[in-house]
Amino acid sequence: MSISRRSFIKTAAAGSLAVPAFVRGAEAADEVLKVGVIHQGAIADTGWEYFQAQAWRSLEKTFPGKVKVTVLENIRENQDAERLFRQLSTQGHRLCFGTTFSHFASLKKLAPTLKRTHFECCAGIEASDNLGVFEARHYEGTYLTGIAAGRMTKSNILGWVGAFPVPQVIYSLNAFMLGARSVNPNATLRIVWVNAWVDPGKEKDGVAALVAQGADVISGSPNTPVQGLAAEEKGVWAIGSTGDFSAYVKKAQLTSFELDWSAAHIEAAKAVMENKWKPTTRWRGLGPGGFVKMTTSSPELPANVAAEMKKAEADIVSGKLKPFAGPIKDQNGAQKVAAGATLTDDQLKGINWLVEGVQGKLPSAS
Amino acid sequence: MRLRLERRPQPSALMVYASPLIAVALTALIALAVFAAAGHEPWSALVIFVTAPVADLYGVGELLIKAAPLVLIGVGLAVGFRANVWNIGAEGQLALGVISGGFLALHFGVGGSPVLLPAMVLAGAVSGALWAAIPALLRTRFNANEILVSLMLNYVAGLWLTYLVFGPWRDPAGFNFPQSAPLAPAALFPILLEDTRLNISVLFALVAVATGWVFMARSFVGFQLRVTGLAEDAARYAGFSTARAVWIGMLAGGCTAGIAGVGEIAGPLGQIFPTASPGYGYAAIIVAFVGRLHPLGILLAGLLMSFLYLAGDSAQMTLGLSSAVAGLFQGTMLFLLLAIDVFVHYRVRGTPAVVPAPAARPVATPVAAEAAT
Amino acid sequence: MIDMAAGILVATVVAGTPMVYAALGELVTERSGVLNLGVEGMMLCGAVSGFMASTLTGSLWLGVVAGMLAGAVLAFLFGVLAISFKANQVAVGLALAIFGTGLSSFIGKKYVGQTVVLEPSALSAALGKLPLVGGLLGQVHPLVWLSWVLLGAIWWFLYRTHAGLVLRAVGESPRSAYALGYKVVRIRYLATLFGGAMAGVGGAYISLVYTALWTEGLVAGRGWIAVGLVVFATWRPGRCLLGAYLFGGVTTAQLFAQGAGARVPTELMSALPYPATIMVLVLISRDARLIRLNVPASLGKPFHAES
Repeated sequence: MSISRRSFIKTAAAGSLAVPAFVRGAEAADEVLKVGVIHQGAIADTGWEYFQAQAWRSLEKTFPGKVKVTVLENIRENQDAERLFRQLSTQGHRLCFGTTFSHFASLKKLAPTLKRTHFECCAGIEASDNLGVFEARHYEGTYLTGIAAGRMTKSNILGWVGAFPVPQVIYSLNAFMLGARSVNPNATLRIVWVNAWVDPGKEKDGVAALVAQGADVISGSPNTPVQGLAAEEKGVWAIGSTGDFSAYVKKAQLTSFELDWSAAHIEAAKAVMENKWKPTTRWRGLGPGGFVKMTTSSPELPANVAAEMKKAEADIVSGKLKPFAGPIKDQNGAQKVAAGATLTDDQLKGINWLVEGVQGKLPSAS
Repeated sequence: MRLRLERRPQPSALMVYASPLIAVALTALIALAVFAAAGHEPWSALVIFVTAPVADLYGVGELLIKAAPLVLIGVGLAVGFRANVWNIGAEGQLALGVISGGFLALHFGVGGSPVLLPAMVLAGAVSGALWAAIPALLRTRFNANEILVSLMLNYVAGLWLTYLVFGPWRDPAGFNFPQSAPLAPAALFPILLEDTRLNISVLFALVAVATGWVFMARSFVGFQLRVTGLAEDAARYAGFSTARAVWIGMLAGGCTAGIAGVGEIAGPLGQIFPTASPGYGYAAIIVAFVGRLHPLGILLAGLLMSFLYLAGDSAQMTLGLSSAVAGLFQGTMLFLLLAIDVFVHYRVRGTPAVVPAPAARPVATPVAAEAAT
Repeated sequence: MIDMAAGILVATVVAGTPMVYAALGELVTERSGVLNLGVEGMMLCGAVSGFMASTLTGSLWLGVVAGMLAGAVLAFLFGVLAISFKANQVAVGLALAIFGTGLSSFIGKKYVGQTVVLEPSALSAALGKLPLVGGLLGQVHPLVWLSWVLLGAIWWFLYRTHAGLVLRAVGESPRSAYALGYKVVRIRYLATLFGGAMAGVGGAYISLVYTALWTEGLVAGRGWIAVGLVVFATWRPGRCLLGAYLFGGVTTAQLFAQGAGARVPTELMSALPYPATIMVLVLISRDARLIRLNVPASLGKPFHAES
């Protein structure tokens, strides 16, 4: 390598003058909002990354010609994400989205130092300086799917393929159990932890392990059709808890819900364009402007069960039905929520216990 | 006329310098084709590809901070490779650095003692060396192939780190996500250049380069190692101990890998994740080879490798290239370099059409052949 | 209880099959003296090629063939560098793993997250009707028991045919083999290509049968495990099978145990096969005679015909 670093930097400086001309092209400065998004994984047709992508695609649809989105995929390492958010900022992106919890720590550090860009983090914990967060109330969706599961199970054993024992997963499976028990007090739930968000081999084996235990409705946090297909192979029901996989799982998908982040993206973009952006914490579930959307159910789902689910959905949206309203006992029989009370948002965000009826432990170092 | 490769009487000095340039040029050609296929004007795209990652001071800092562990580990590994001691376990030894440095940081970080950082670095070096000592011991005592032993130990170390981060070291305020608490400021490497993430790990890398060079080129032990690598029998005849070469070779790599592990958590990560190393242990092996096992070459090769990482990510942003393209460029560049490097030691010769078939040789030949080697 | 055991057994066999293919292929390669660390890259390319071919043609077996070809092409690249150009086999193998990973991501971009639905195998259904073994055979794909056939074929080839003897001789002492008139380079190439083709089949099995989808990182390190497996098996085909089920089965067994309520220290169980491999390696290496009996003597060393 005969290029010395000094001459490298000189060339770089000269080159960087060429960069703006190439990159900005014909856009009128400041009229087009440049938005940056970093994906940890690859954008697929289903799963977490798909819904993140749908959200920024909705930006381009809602504000045609006014928004330009730069997308980075497969940025798996946290060190790299931090560097790239910074680079997005220096390249003139006035709004940047993080798409996973792992981005939250870096963005929390970075956001206060890069004031010309506003940051939003999906699945972040709480808003801070120059950083907004938004997360879905997954549990509202899983509660409804629990109703379907509770009605349709014949063995009274439900199964959950657990990714990581993080609060989002825990409250989701707890709500699944509560929803099932609201119509079927004998239902139980078994869990298997695969310790991965995406690991098709382990997920498939996890489904097999649950079915071997007698589970006949399987749920989890699937990002690919693997769990649904495995359930179909074994002849049991599958529930799409982070997406509608019915295009692939033609027979076995009982019901499903999707995540729709477009409201968060559109609101944030609009606020930045009107110079009114403020860091906010958005935690929404079902209902208009929400992030959880129930999708198609299998034609084999009886009409009365579907109606039950619809009614419950309406009640959740109106506030009449609170999935975590007491009395609720945990696995060991201790009362965690008294009658008449309900879990607060903060309690949900840090939840680390399982409700009665769930068989399986949290794999923490206890 | 058939072509064949004939060993040169001595390595070609021209090719030693020309081959990386040729490989880079060829990769650049391929890059031009890829850019054109993606609909860009090839030359300006290439300029952007090359300059955008390091267009500002922060970018230069990132280049250096990513090159530091590669160079550091590469130099350590090269000591062993020169002596034909193949340490493939740098990834695991790096994990040991993360584990030992992390232990100190998590348990003593809050105290804020100035001794903490040196202790962490020392712990990383020692633990990495100990992990490398296992294949060294098994090789010297039981003749077990160190490639395979060190490779297997990578998995064990990785699983150990996973266990710790999922279990006892999990951040109580981290909502059960598999990550440790953020490291206390006393446990973080000081930043060298404001507004960048450049920290003192680059100094470690430079010290390693200097030490490695002096050791290999100027010290008697280094000489012994090189001879052992080139002609083991001759070395043994001269009284150079193979066992010692194995130990020094493995420990050098383990030591530097452990320090690099500490550098990752005390540096850009600032926290402990199960994937603390994005494959630096394996990438450093390539860096060592591309750098021709010479510390200065490794320095340049490390910068090149780091640059490829950065440019690939940046190209997603500036050129809209897919993320897979970066990995493809890296792999292609490596292959080309390894292929062209061959011409340092070999040259292409045509052979005349008629060659006596070996099978026609008299039976006495095996003996003659054995005697000749 | 018997049901559970049968379930675990079937799941273990199914999970271990990709490694059976990859390890048997690598075993043949290493027996000729060539150490190819790039198995992971070859498996990934086999997986993505098989997936693409099956998606486009609707045929599983065409996908398997495509996977074989992809693995063989990568192995050929390896061969050119390591056998003909005599570059360092470790470095080339690592570069191959990196290159193969990048290449598979690149060509598989359009197919990420997609799934391929293939007809359930008629052959499996037919076999399922056999008495006794039908229960096991019917539940697994033909590729699973084809791997057992492959095992038998490789054993036969290595120990009962002249060609196999020559292969082993090349691995033990290429110089002697060359002097006896055998084309060492060609034999090593063939062994390497075979290894690549088998790795490709293993990868295609994962993407077509085991998970029936393509995503990046699908192979999840199984290629590296296969390399270690060959050592664990002391370069013997039969033990490769056992080792593959052991390595492949550990994760599966853990999940089943969890489902049944057992508290298993997952990382510990996942880690066990590796120290076990090291122990085996130590045991066979201690005795110089055992080494000569087991490890191909020229493993990893380039062969120079004229020096």
